[in-house]
Amino acid sequence: MPRIQDISAFNDVREAGLAKVMPPVPRVTVGMGTCGRGAGAEGVYHAFSEAIDRAGIDAVLASVGCFGACYEEPLAAVRLPGSPLVLLRRVQANDVGRILQDLSSGSITPDLAYCKVEQWDHVTGHLHYGDGYPEIPAWDEVPFFKGQKKIVLRNCGFINPDDIEEYIGIGGYQALYSVLIDGAKESVIEKVKAAKLRGRGGAGYLTGNKWEFLAKAKADQKFIICNADEGDPGAYMNRNEIEGDPHNLLEGMLIGGYVMGATRGIIYVRAEYPLVVHRLGRAIEQAHEYGLLGENILGRGFDFDIEVVQGAGVFVCGEETALIASLEGQAGRPRPRPPYPAQKGLWGKPTNINNVETWYNIAPIVTRGPLWFAQTGSAKSSGTKVFSLVGRVQSTGLVEMPLGTPLKTFIYDIGEGGIAGREIKAIQTGGASGGCIPREMFDTPVDYENLAQLGSIMGSGGMVVMDEDNCMVDVARYFIEFTHSESCGKCIPCRVGLDKSLRILNRITEGVGTARHVELLDELSHYMRECSLCGLGQSAPNPVLTALRHFGQEFDDHIVAHRCAAGVCEELALSPCENSCPLHINIPRFLALEKEGRIEDAFEAMFLDNPLPASTGRVCQHQCESRCRRQTLDEPVNVRAVHRLVADSLLLSDRFDEMAARVLRHKLDPTGRKVAVAGAGPAGLTAAFYLAMLGHDVTVFDEKPAAGGMLRFAIPTYRLPKDVLEREIEMIARAGVKFIFNVRVGTDVLLNDLDDDFDAVFIAIGTWKQAEISQAGRELKGVYGALPFLEALGRGEEVRIGRKVAIIGAGNAAIDSARAAIRRGAEATVFYRRGRKDMPAIEEETHAAEQEGTKFVFLAAPHRILGDDSGNVKAIETVKTSLGEFDTSGRRKPIPTGEIQRHDCDTVILAIGESIDAEFAHASDLRLKENGSIDVNRFTLESSRGHFFAGGDVTSGASNVSSAMGLGKQAARSIDRQLMEADRWQRLFSEFEYEQVVPEEPAPSPRHAGRMLEPAVRARCQAEVVAALTPEEAREEAERCLRCDLAAANVT
Amino acid sequence: MKKLKVATVWLDGCSGCHMSLLDMDAAIISLAQKIELVYGPLVDAQEFPEDVDVTLVEGAVSSQDDLNRIQKIRQRTHLLVAMGDCAVTGNVPAMRNSIPVTRLLQCVYASGGEAKTIPSEGVPVLLKQARPLREFVTVDVSLPGCPPPSKSIAGVIAALLEGKKTESAAGVKFG
Amino acid sequence: MPPKNVSIRIDGELISAREDQTILEAATASGKHIPTLCHLAGLTPVGACRVCIVEAQGTDRLLPACTTPVHEGMSVTTSSAKLARYRRMTVELLLVERNHVCSVCVSNGHCELQSLATELGVTNVRFAFNYPKLDVDVSHPRYVLDHNRCILCSRCVRVCAELEHAHVWEVRSRGIHSRIVSDLNAKWGEAQSCTNCGKCVQACPTGALAEKGRAVEEMTKSSEKITSLARWRGAEA
Repeated sequence: MPRIQDISAFNDVREAGLAKVMPPVPRVTVGMGTCGRGAGAEGVYHAFSEAIDRAGIDAVLASVGCFGACYEEPLAAVRLPGSPLVLLRRVQANDVGRILQDLSSGSITPDLAYCKVEQWDHVTGHLHYGDGYPEIPAWDEVPFFKGQKKIVLRNCGFINPDDIEEYIGIGGYQALYSVLIDGAKESVIEKVKAAKLRGRGGAGYLTGNKWEFLAKAKADQKFIICNADEGDPGAYMNRNEIEGDPHNLLEGMLIGGYVMGATRGIIYVRAEYPLVVHRLGRAIEQAHEYGLLGENILGRGFDFDIEVVQGAGVFVCGEETALIASLEGQAGRPRPRPPYPAQKGLWGKPTNINNVETWYNIAPIVTRGPLWFAQTGSAKSSGTKVFSLVGRVQSTGLVEMPLGTPLKTFIYDIGEGGIAGREIKAIQTGGASGGCIPREMFDTPVDYENLAQLGSIMGSGGMVVMDEDNCMVDVARYFIEFTHSESCGKCIPCRVGLDKSLRILNRITEGVGTARHVELLDELSHYMRECSLCGLGQSAPNPVLTALRHFGQEFDDHIVAHRCAAGVCEELALSPCENSCPLHINIPRFLALEKEGRIEDAFEAMFLDNPLPASTGRVCQHQCESRCRRQTLDEPVNVRAVHRLVADSLLLSDRFDEMAARVLRHKLDPTGRKVAVAGAGPAGLTAAFYLAMLGHDVTVFDEKPAAGGMLRFAIPTYRLPKDVLEREIEMIARAGVKFIFNVRVGTDVLLNDLDDDFDAVFIAIGTWKQAEISQAGRELKGVYGALPFLEALGRGEEVRIGRKVAIIGAGNAAIDSARAAIRRGAEATVFYRRGRKDMPAIEEETHAAEQEGTKFVFLAAPHRILGDDSGNVKAIETVKTSLGEFDTSGRRKPIPTGEIQRHDCDTVILAIGESIDAEFAHASDLRLKENGSIDVNRFTLESSRGHFFAGGDVTSGASNVSSAMGLGKQAARSIDRQLMEADRWQRLFSEFEYEQVVPEEPAPSPRHAGRMLEPAVRARCQAEVVAALTPEEAREEAERCLRCDLAAANVT
Repeated sequence: MKKLKVATVWLDGCSGCHMSLLDMDAAIISLAQKIELVYGPLVDAQEFPEDVDVTLVEGAVSSQDDLNRIQKIRQRTHLLVAMGDCAVTGNVPAMRNSIPVTRLLQCVYASGGEAKTIPSEGVPVLLKQARPLREFVTVDVSLPGCPPPSKSIAGVIAALLEGKKTESAAGVKFG
Repeated sequence: MPPKNVSIRIDGELISAREDQTILEAATASGKHIPTLCHLAGLTPVGACRVCIVEAQGTDRLLPACTTPVHEGMSVTTSSAKLARYRRMTVELLLVERNHVCSVCVSNGHCELQSLATELGVTNVRFAFNYPKLDVDVSHPRYVLDHNRCILCSRCVRVCAELEHAHVWEVRSRGIHSRIVSDLNAKWGEAQSCTNCGKCVQACPTGALAEKGRAVEEMTKSSEKITSLARWRGAEA
């Protein structure tokens, strides 16, 4: 190919290139970026190549760059002449045959079709592929691409990066040509300034100003450098940009070199990007061949050359002075500025350094002008930015969005929210120099200033999403470990400061950190930020500072409670199941004892961990199972069912007395201290049991006639037979707990009296008050609150309900109400304003209710209840909702549409939340939180009044049985510590010897679940729905445990 | 005037700091009138008393015994002075810190000593490393020096007598 | 064309300086003291230790006085509570990084780190000590390199490269693992490029580089000779 020297030669190449991109025969392309190759794209490409050759199909095959949707790799695209380009996702080599077959018959393989592109704006050119395929969504209708604007990535995934003609074909090098022909260098710089393009490397300095400095610098030689030393954890924007479209970079640099008066350009890229190095090498070679590099470029008398220099993968070489040192053959260590590179850069000559992505924006600005460019983005940050969205979201990949887009758009719309319904808690932007932003701030628009204000940075565009499985202390530790190993060691703040920070963070994640450590960490971080020599050290503390600022509670958890809620810090957890259990039951231990057939030992160990084992064995929300590592193999261990069987076998047997004696021999000697417990629900009973076992004289008060709280009065007998509960309460009573019923604390017994008569008081009165809602029609006959309804049933009282019952709400109380109504022969319909997956009720219960015939109406918010002339309910009206933006809970907000629906019914049960009895709360004079719950110290559960502790729903808001019990347990320990001025907790427990072996190669074995009564049978009676496991099943289930408790111990 | 109750403690150090303390010449006589020395290598008391006003601690924390002592002392004293480099930085006792304890004992007793066996009774168990006081307990005043000059020690005590808690005495140096 | 003079303020006092001077040079020339550690007059300043940081009007950043050039109208503050706190922090971090046992050091009493600690009032260290295990290179017939006492100021590297032109010394590795090395990590005694001139020893602010045979407190150094030599060479050039 002769070098292009005039416009007609250029246009010839352009025609030829365009014909390659849109050939008159079918064209098949495979995304062959590093991401695609990692997912197997090379195999797919070869399969296409062989199949096309073998069958002699007249089709063009090309490899292209990445189109961005990395979570759907390998991506391929097919296009028939005159038809839209269709992207295929997750293509495997064995799909190739049918893809080609479908193509030859003019159709697109439906199950692989991802989206179509009918026309495409290459910015420098515009292609119309064709219209059609109404069944396939357009690319910008796919959630991942909705709202994306591709300026930088305009060519990625469309053209063959190894073919300069294709780049020229879609309008490439035209901007360069026009600049060379016009020769108006200043006007180009003016355009870049007017576009308000800011450096995409992270600092956001105005590119136009930087260019002007170099243009004005007087020297015999000037350099321009492209900084492609991308090294942030989780960031790969620059890699994919170059892999998919290398000429775009060359064109940007050529224009820059020309207008700034440089004669040489250098691309500094890390050697870990071999494909980038290869693509650049090929691109530079072709550019030489076509007369776009070297002497007399495009016949316009401009000489310029570009060289690729491979760096050794040193993070600090992203800092411009370190990069220059590295180019000069020295160790990559930065030097203080001034002098700036524009004054004294490479080899002492004036030098301009810009990030890859900055160069990619140059041709578009030249072609379309600064006004067009500035239309996109926010006032201070114009244009788009490419982000690599990775971490705990469903859809990951490269995302190009206008600057100023709120964070939540990235996370919930493009990323499509958390994986497996996990709650997202933060997003990390800017890589190791950035910070974590909590979900309360996901409304923040992404631009340089806003991120800086939150203590983070835009950086080069890394976005790592974190959910509840990420420990924020560990995340901070991870990033410090990274910068620690990448610090060049020249200046003391960075070298030693990071070393000390890392050691302190290690101490905290090991559970031996102190409040003093946190103070020192904070001081060190500010010192490093202000005193370090270069950007690495100055920004390295950002992950720590943002973690301290936004997630201080997690630091406290590690330091004060020695807990890591995410279960990441292994020293702080026995096993994932134990860590997630609010009662911190040693689950692997009772499973191992059960497995060894030592059911009495298992019972003893279990009861001391959890004094309501048979009840929780039935109704617990079992967080343990969601964390069980067995599910990576097949299904989680049915911990709850084994728990129940062990409890039932002995609690309900004639060996009760014997077992009671075994438990009670752990009781400590009387202390002479008296403790009052207000409330005999799960939290109160648990606290009372432990306090009695610790030797205190415990009296429990309850306004109801019997103990059990919600377990007795809210949970129906078909889920929890009351004789089971009785046995547990009997055991607690034998520990020495005294009960006084039908007495209401706060009115019948005053707090001041308790204060006089007892050494400590634990308030666990729960949330029995129906949330006050102004529901039109609330006063009609046949409208009940869920709790009073369930309570009346629990007491065996007669409640008149009709034939058609409407239940409003979707928590456990709602489902219980529906199932109770069905058992009384009624039809039950549950109305919920959100969708099924947002329901707070336990999934198994919802499923069982469905089987029994409960109907569900989703996206329906209550509007009003209608009554007949005699004041009886006759119907309910609901408003249809649609799901709007995501709220801070990570769920979409239901928005009323105004469309009213009417449902006939004769009974309405309102199950829309319970709250603490406000009357008591105010009369108690205890400090309350905004939501009305009692304000206590998170760790000691001590209230604003000395010797008064509180826990359970009354502090947490309506929650569940095991969480309330966990708080009861925590309170007992804390009360004992205060009364006895020592931590005597461990004295209650004894060691058990049992096998300590990790199953080497666990064989797949199915999960056992208790058999359920047939829906038709159970819907007609109050009998317990779920049967216990058989002893054999329980043994087999226990054997499925992977013994993570030992695995963790082995690691340390 | 009530006399200030002062204790001195000798952990892992060479006693040089105590020598320096005694090296005050005549100043010690006037000092003796204002303080009551309630515990230390210089007096007979066996048990560290309660409610001590000021304790001067020489030496690093090197053994389990040192650790138990310093924790008890911290509970029973109002102001704790780390006296000398060993107490402030670990100094010479800490020079063993990069050597594993078993190798150290092997070297000192089995290979080098006459006994040829490592004693297991009657000697305190060594901690993995000798470390300064601050890494185990809160230190109120640090007085570096090896040893700190008598004048500096006298200066700190004089300041404390006047009720001034000087975090650092001017002009003191490490070493 | 000779450099122009500019007017600057240091701690409020109006001072005349040459425009090619750094803040530190201008301050020193008018008798003002700014504490330093890695700096040695006559060698290229590197701004590594951050002890000479100062505050300047119009910027939030703290500037190293040894490398920042003066400019007309500049107003600099050399001491403040913040600067004192940060400078002390630097000394604390150096003390915990390696094993600075002053009492047994050849440079005890003549060490710039030790006297800086005294000057800044550092009497204790709030961080845990690292106590790393580090080598002592005694292979050279006349000198010793003790990594325990090295603070990585790079004065040896610079004096060897800039005045002796032998380039014996470099810093290898990075971060906390950085070490001074001779030649390509050869033992000093086997380093072929070493001329045995001893300038590095004189330039070293601590006891890291010392003459053999010196006992505790005996190693005095004359870094001012390095400064005079550099000046003389400069004048010659």
